[in-house]
Order: sequence, then C-alpha cells, then structure tokens
Amino acid sequence: MLHGGLVPHRPYIVSGPPGSGKTVLAMQFLLEGVQGGERCLFVALEEPPNEIKQNMRAFKWVADDVEILDANSDIRRFEPTPVIEISTEVEPARMRDIEDRIRKTPDFESHEVSVHSLQQLLKTLFIKRRYDRVVIDSITALKYFCMREFEESLTTQSFMRFLAESKVTTVLVVELPEEGQAPPESFLARGEIRLHKLRDESGIRRFISIEKYKGSSHDEFVYPFEIHSSGIVVQVADAGQAPAA
Amino acid sequence: MDRVSTGVPGLDAMLGGGLVPARPYVVSGPTGAGKTILAMQFLAAGLAKGEAGLMVTLDEPPNEVKANVVAFGWNLDRLKILDATPDIKAHKRQRSVIDVGTTMDVRDMDQVGEIRQSSQIRAMEVSIHGVQKMLKQEFFQREERTREKYKRIVVDSITALKMFSMAGEDSRIMIQSFMRFLAELEATTLLVSERLNPKILETEFFLCRGEIRFHKSLDGNVIRRAVSIEKFRGSRFDSRVRPMSITNQGITVDPQGVVAMTGGHLAALGEEYLEQRLGDEVTTVIEAVLKLIEDAHRMRMAVTDVEHAISRATLQLQRRHYQKALKTALHAQAVIRERLEKARQGPPPPPPPQPPPQGVPAPGVRR
Repeated sequence: MLHGGLVPHRPYIVSGPPGSGKTVLAMQFLLEGVQGGERCLFVALEEPPNEIKQNMRAFKWVADDVEILDANSDIRRFEPTPVIEISTEVEPARMRDIEDRIRKTPDFESHEVSVHSLQQLLKTLFIKRRYDRVVIDSITALKYFCMREFEESLTTQSFMRFLAESKVTTVLVVELPEEGQAPPESFLARGEIRLHKLRDESGIRRFISIEKYKGSSHDEFVYPFEIHSSGIVVQVADAGQAPAA
Repeated sequence: MDRVSTGVPGLDAMLGGGLVPARPYVVSGPTGAGKTILAMQFLAAGLAKGEAGLMVTLDEPPNEVKANVVAFGWNLDRLKILDATPDIKAHKRQRSVIDVGTTMDVRDMDQVGEIRQSSQIRAMEVSIHGVQKMLKQEFFQREERTREKYKRIVVDSITALKMFSMAGEDSRIMIQSFMRFLAELEATTLLVSERLNPKILETEFFLCRGEIRFHKSLDGNVIRRAVSIEKFRGSRFDSRVRPMSITNQGITVDPQGVVAMTGGHLAALGEEYLEQRLGDEVTTVIEAVLKLIEDAHRMRMAVTDVEHAISRATLQLQRRHYQKALKTALHAQAVIRERLEKARQGPPPPPPPQPPPQGVPAPGVRR
C-alpha cells in the first residue's frame, strides 16, 4: 500500500479508535526492525510494560529485543510536595527483562512524566546510541496527561519537530474518537496510516487506509485487514469497499 | 493464561474464557442497559469462589443498590460496599464541606440499612482524591486484617466520579492517575461508564484494557438487548454483537446468537465514515449541477427551479442531511440534463456546451 514501505527518518502517525489494532501494528513495526538487527524503542505511555509483554504473548512473536521505556506516570499525589519528574537517567528495559508485575508507586514520591522531561530523556538516549525505530504509544496520552502547563498543540508540534530532527523513523500512535474530527496532530506528520473499525453482521471489520504520505505515491483504496496470531495481515488483493450497512 | 470469570458464562465465552486478571476494564452502555447488574454479577461470582469484592457506589446509595439486586437471589452478604454518594450540598458561606475520605463508610452488604442522612451541620463532598484514599485504606486494612486482598473492584460509575468530584481538576490527568492506582492494586476492576458523546474521546475508553459495551434498542415495543466486546488487549475475542437478556438469574448472553443489524445505533459505528463518503458524493454532484447551470445560463434557459433545488441541497448538506441532499442534488441533475438535452436537439443549434461531468452514483445509500 505504501509502495514499498516508509521513507526512513521521519515521523508517521498510526491513528484509529480504541480497539482498532494500533498498538499491534506499532509493535509489529518494531519487530520487523529487530529481526533486521535494528535497534528499536517502544515508549509506553498508556499501559505498563508488564501488560504489554503479556499482551504480546498472544502473538507468535519474538519480541525479546525490543526495548521498552516505561513513561507511565505514577499515581499522582495530592500533597503540595513537588512531584518528581521522570529523571533523565532512566534506561529502557529489554522486553525479556520486563517483570510480570506492575511497578508500584513508591510511598513517598511519585514520578510524573511531562513532555519536557520525556523529550530530554529521549534526547539523551538518542545521543548515547542510535535507535532505528521508535514508537510513541500514544501521542494522545502524552497530550492528555503530560502537558499540564503547556499549550497542547504547540507543544505537540514541537515534540514532533524534535523527533523529525532526531532522524529516527518514528511511529506515533494517535487515538481517535469513534466519530468526529481527527485531532490536529494528524496534520503534522509526514504520513498517516489510519485504522478503521466498522461493525456489521459478521462482527468487527477492520480496514486500513493511507490518509497521507509525503514524498511517495501510495494506494488510495481502503483495504480490509485482520489480526491473526502472526499479527496484522492486510488483504491487498481485494480492494475493500466501504460496506453498505 | 489465567482468566477471571465475569459471572456470565456467555460473556466469558465471548472473551475467550474471561477477563485478563489485575487490569481495569470499562463497561459502557446507555442507561438501563444492565451495566450495574453485570458489575454486581461479577462481584457475586467472585464471592462464590471466595474472592473478596469491593463495590464503590457513586450513583445510588447502598440501600438502593441492595434492594435492586435482591431479585436475583445472589448471596452478596460478604460484599464490601463503599458509599461514595455525595451528600446534599450545604449552601453556606463558610467552607463546611468535608471530604468523604475523612469519614469513610465501608460496610458489608448485610449491614446496609436505610439511606444515610446528610448531616445537618456539615455535608460530605466526594472528590477523586477522597475516593482513592478511602479505597487505599480499605484495601490495605483488609490485607492486614485477613491477609487477603480484594480481587475484584467495581466503580459505579466513573462518569459520576468525573462529574461530581473533579471540579477544578484536570479530569484527564485524574482519571489516568486513578486507573494507574487501580492497576497497581492488582485487582480486576470494572469501571461503569455512561457513554455520553462518541465524538469525544474519553480517557477511560482508551486507557482501559478492554471494553464491554451494552446496546439497547427498541424493536416495535420490545426492548432488545445486546452486548459486544469493543476492545480487549492481549486476547482474541468474539467481535460480534450477541443478544443478551436480563432474567431473574441476572444477565445471560447467548454466545451463538445473532443480532439483526437493523437497529440504528448498532450500525452507528461505521456511520461517520460512510457519511463522509456520502458528503463527498453530494459535493461532486452539486458541483456538476452548478456547471450545468452555467451552461444553461449561457443558452439563456430558465433554470430557476434547478437553482432553488441546488441551494436546498447545499443547505441540507450543511445540516448534514446527506441522504436528503444527495436525493435533491441527483434530482436537480436529472432535470437540468434533460432540459439541456432538449434545448440542444431543438433549433437553432446552441453553442456546444461542455459535456456534463458525470455525477458518481452513490454506493451504499442507506435508509
């Protein structure tokens, strides 16, 4: 559909409503990289890493070498003591080293992830070693939870600019509401892969489309896809029709 | 993998055995769809296996919760219920509100009596902080007392928690933090959520690890109930909408049953997408007709009615009545084409107009 794949070193968006398969697609993108000997980083903002690890067991994947950065904010404290931002010395962990249980918020301090600290941290990581593929899951969580004192769209834009300048191929996961307008971050990326979720008599039918792809030709059609135990499989052979309900 | 039963065998079958433990889930649906019943059934199933359960009620006072489930005959005596319904607000000048967290009220279901009377002097107000603190205290006190953790927690409802208790707070961040808190308790949690507006992405829907959605539709004068799994991380699941009913046993789901997709809201999921396509179609047709109108003007033909029709179609398009707009536009197109055709055949031969652009016939026109 993308006529060969993504143009490297640019940020892309994978968008779709909850349950449409975005995280699976993002993870599959990293897995492909790991198999080619590339260094891959998954920045988790929505789910704790232990759950991601567990979820990926349902697929027949060898994801041990994907690195995960736990950027989930701790439980917030209500006391007026200042919160500690995620430190810039945090290291991502390899998938195989992720523990089975959730990390507990310590009793006396809690880490809060802010867009600023996350950006700093990624910057240090990118200087230390070259990552080939990075996934941010999700930009929506970053926008909702990590921008307490920032202006949302400007900050998102600057964050994406930062990713573009870091010369890493990045997949940004964006949550869409089930109906209505796409959020403004879609306009900022170099390309958007959108996942659609439709219901009909046979259950949920999933579709994938390329909404935008700068610097390359791409298919205009909407194709159906399925989530198998090997991951997402797009059926490019039969052009999907929007089902007449 | 271990699974946690929802207490509804049919639903467990849809979930591929049950819920993945120690995670928060959302139960959504319109009012009266059975969300609270499912939540209670889930807790009852836990109690039957000796798993401790805790119900946090914000919508109804505990005495009503108790009365409502009597009909099902579940043994819920050992269920802990935490009353987080806010008091009548005291409208006084000075701040006389005390947080629910400081006077917590957790009791066994069999201890639940009358409705708690709001105190004359001070009113309790619920805050997410208060609820969280109360939950935490109760959770750890129980662990100390009985060396046993709560395995199942229900929050009924997260919508109420958001509405009453977050005045002045950033509710997205508070919900994120609350769900993180629930995940760290390592109990399987059901968050009851009223679906208010599908156009707004509510935090709990994308942070939850799965969503069970109830549907309710009117078929003639019978209420039809159905249930579907919208999202379920880390497991395969049955993605169809399955019929369910509420009997004196509680909720039963027929995991083999088929729901006719005629009900308006069931099809609503793909609607926006189709509407967008349809909107594009209408725009194409309107543009084509506008070109034809220009041609007609050049030939000095009277086409006022078509112009009216097209402005009506534009208005309908703006009001998002896509089907109507499409119909109006297509009709106008047919009329003006026919008229142009006639004028062209009749003498004197007019200057050759441009071939009219083809209006694309709409696929999937519904209703």
